[in-house]
Amino acid sequence: MTVTVAEAWVEEPLRRFVDDARVVFALLVHPSGQVMGQHGFTRAVDVMSACALAAAINASAGALGRELEARPFQELYHAGLERQVFLAEAVTVRGACVLITAFGRETSLGLVRLYFQEFRQALAAAAPQAEKAGPVLAADFERELDRSMAVLFGRARPRDLTPV
Amino acid sequence: MVGCVVADAHDGIVVEAVVRQGVNSNTVAALAASLYGGAVQSARAAGMGEVGFLRLEAERGHVFAIGWGDLVLVVIADVSVNVGQLRVDMLKSRESLA
Repeated sequence: MTVTVAEAWVEEPLRRFVDDARVVFALLVHPSGQVMGQHGFTRAVDVMSACALAAAINASAGALGRELEARPFQELYHAGLERQVFLAEAVTVRGACVLITAFGRETSLGLVRLYFQEFRQALAAAAPQAEKAGPVLAADFERELDRSMAVLFGRARPRDLTPV
Repeated sequence: MVGCVVADAHDGIVVEAVVRQGVNSNTVAALAASLYGGAVQSARAAGMGEVGFLRLEAERGHVFAIGWGDLVLVVIADVSVNVGQLRVDMLKSRESLA
């Protein structure tokens, strides 16, 4: 399974999830829309679109959940004709991440949910201590997005954040 | 008896479950439905027709499954269970639920 990552510490949990759950696409994004890792995409433009949509869906669902149940929804699921989509949040010491994944008949929603629980635990265990948060500026976001895309598609090396 | 789960055979999602404390019905439903689906595909590929009754013998017990329509009935039992009686009971349950 080909998994490419912008943050080295997410690689093993994401690879394990993709292998176990047998999903077609998987995308791990920061809630702001920055990509952290992906499986199944071949074009940078598709990753950028999917990241933006995943972040928007997560934000909308969170707001709707808070409106209806006073807390964000934990998981979202959409059943298509051929493929199904699952979206959920995983919280680490570095903050929340959003996993959006698409899968077909090779697996099932139950298996994806089961292996997502394991993924969430593995990601939390793998996360290095949080860096001091810097200012969130549009210029920083664009630079980070460009860097992430370059890493994912082999034009730069992933940032290794594993503590020494 | 350790537990009994009715799950969606395609999604592996729990429809109804009665399980002993410490048994995660969601996990059982997801994995057992996948197992049952694999058995159905294997039987068809081997030209054996439909799966009637699935029995998995493990070190400390058994997992049994039978399906009907879009559902699968999964029973987890310890090693002391009367397998023949349980099989008859599960087939009767399937008839009454169908």
